[in-house]
Amino acid sequence: MRKIRDLLTSMSFAIVLLVLLAACCAFGSFITQGQTYEWYAGAYGERAAVLIMALYLDDIYHSWWFFALGGFLCLDLLLCDLVRLPSLIRRTKKAIDPQSILRSPVTASLSHVADPAPVFSALHMPEPKAFGQDGVSGLFSVKNRAGLWGAWVCHLGILLLILGFGLGQMTHMEYTVYGVPGDEKPIGDTGLTLSIDDFRIDRREDGTARQYTASITVSGKNAAAQSGKASVNHPAALHGLKIYQNSTGWAAAVTVSRDGETLQEKVLCAGEYMPIQALPELSVFFNAFYPDYAPAENEALEGHAYLYTLYYRGQIAGMNILLPGEVITVDDYTIRFSDPQEYTLLQVKQDRFTSLALMGGLIVLIGLLLAFYCQPRTLWALSGQDGLWNVYGFSPKGGALFAEQLHSAQEATPKLQKEE
Amino acid sequence: MLNVEKILFPIVMLFYLAAMVLYFLFTALKKEKAAKWAFRVQLGTLVLHTLVLICRGIGAGRLPMTNQYEFASSFAWGLCLVSLVFIWRFRFPLLGTFAVPVILLILGYAALQSREVHALMPALQSGWLGLHVSTAIIAYGAFGVSFVISLIFLLRERRSDDSFWARSIPASEKLDLISYRSVTLGLLFLTFTILTGAIWAEQAWGSYWSWDPKETWSLVTWLIYAVYLHLRIRRGWKGRTAAIFAAIGFLCVIFTYIGVNTLLPGIHSYK
Ligand code: HEM
Repeated sequence: MRKIRDLLTSMSFAIVLLVLLAACCAFGSFITQGQTYEWYAGAYGERAAVLIMALYLDDIYHSWWFFALGGFLCLDLLLCDLVRLPSLIRRTKKAIDPQSILRSPVTASLSHVADPAPVFSALHMPEPKAFGQDGVSGLFSVKNRAGLWGAWVCHLGILLLILGFGLGQMTHMEYTVYGVPGDEKPIGDTGLTLSIDDFRIDRREDGTARQYTASITVSGKNAAAQSGKASVNHPAALHGLKIYQNSTGWAAAVTVSRDGETLQEKVLCAGEYMPIQALPELSVFFNAFYPDYAPAENEALEGHAYLYTLYYRGQIAGMNILLPGEVITVDDYTIRFSDPQEYTLLQVKQDRFTSLALMGGLIVLIGLLLAFYCQPRTLWALSGQDGLWNVYGFSPKGGALFAEQLHSAQEATPKLQKEE
Repeated sequence: MLNVEKILFPIVMLFYLAAMVLYFLFTALKKEKAAKWAFRVQLGTLVLHTLVLICRGIGAGRLPMTNQYEFASSFAWGLCLVSLVFIWRFRFPLLGTFAVPVILLILGYAALQSREVHALMPALQSGWLGLHVSTAIIAYGAFGVSFVISLIFLLRERRSDDSFWARSIPASEKLDLISYRSVTLGLLFLTFTILTGAIWAEQAWGSYWSWDPKETWSLVTWLIYAVYLHLRIRRGWKGRTAAIFAAIGFLCVIFTYIGVNTLLPGIHSYK
């Protein structure tokens, strides 16, 4: 058991795990994800396709083995942080204990210093404290003890981040709702309804879109109506759901009439069906505009044709292009397409663990700041019999750079050194 | 403004070239004076380069960091800034000898890109864009510096018997420490870049992480540098192995930046 623990908390294991994770992530970006067997067979050959499907390489980032790798990383981080916690607390306490300081390793030292105070201040150390122990007296100062916790905090943050992300992946809900102003649509199986009250496109002079804004209301049987606006980069938050203005598409008004009297009217988004009420076995499908729209404000929207399909008892009865002004005639009914407009596609999401992941991310950042920019260092000076001082410094991460700093501190105070 | 930028851009390249020549002179002839002048010229070029970016920003009416040309120019700027700080802070002019050619290479790449100004699509109009991209520039600059230092480290190792290299390059331990400093700066900023990117993606696309190739590759880069940090702590792997990983890390940076846009599909490639 101990052996397993030692292996799991070893640095080599962490390194292997991290390299493996990086390799898998990279690998996934080279294989197009989310395709079918046939697609892979066409792109990479039959054999490769079989392998891809067998190893879940078509959806690496959601495969069980990728999850397992992430789980392992979490377990490893948790173990590492737990195992290292007691020694970290001990080290933090010992860092200001003179007896431990006297026994600590030395990164660099100065000898024959007349007055150590300027060295302390040249290294920006806090005011030194005096100590006397076992016949030795001196001064010491400790800086950036919090830095000892950098790696620990960073690992904790990664753990929370992965946990938040993983839980979010497992529990999040996502729905798509689209339509034009006036539409009222159910939001998946939530029991809530989303009404599109308005949809505006703000355009620049050259016709390109600056912003899309949908005004929406979410309501339900037991939920009072809540209204808000969703625009790109500014999602709405209603009833615990976040609603994003995701994209847009084209729609047209479809009118069914007889003898000039309108019987049925609906705005149909491209890709939608409309059953004709007066002719129950007939429905009309709006395929797309023809030719495809490249929207620009000054373009005459009415200049485009509508591609439609008619279905009779579920079978295609006809497919054609309708030029502006043209109508479809069935018996004495006319079906007219008009008023091209953009509809909004809204994404409705709920992920209760986003804030956990965000918190993890911020903790990682704090951990890294502590580890890198709050490097612990200890400086202590012992007085010798000749009235001169020896100054010692310990900086576990400073190394040669710390030694350089210490020596240039001595150079900065040359007058204070006595020659032997 | 865009015309001013157009005129200034080649001048900036010429100045970098001058700095490079001075650094080469310093390296070849061991003339400290040349190093001093090289540093000054590089500093002056940074100011001019900043001006170019400001002109571009004013001309385009937004931050000059949203297409390949602009980002390459900003990336070179970041590398110039970080290398100057490291040269000054660690009294290490040899860094310039290696860094300025890399800056020129990146600017050369920028010069090959289209300079047309396109209006930003709505998703790109976010306050997070500025934070996301400017932290990326510093991160990439810092990683560029660590790459250069790792190369110097590996060169020094191979030629430890050559007195010229031994004289003009700091001791391996110090090189390793300087490389560590640049990686830590880069990793801190890369973490910030990824976080701001995730927050922004959450607002714009409703999903803070969607394994888009650019996201994936920034994570790969992040992991590689994490490996570097751990390698340094493990005794025995500190110098050489760590230096190799720092170099691999920078290749990932370059791939994230250029390879992903050109070789792999994703949301980031719409630019
Ligand atoms: C597989 C999971 C991991 C394990 C088991 C692990 C383990 C360790 C250990 C034992 C240390 C030594 C700390 C010390 O001596 O003070 C350390 C340091 C560190 N680890 Fe990890 N680590 C893991 C993943 C990560 C990841 C993904 C990162 C991301 C950046 C990371 C960042 C750090 C940092 C910043 C340090 C401190 C390095 C320094 O201060 O120079 N670790 N890690």
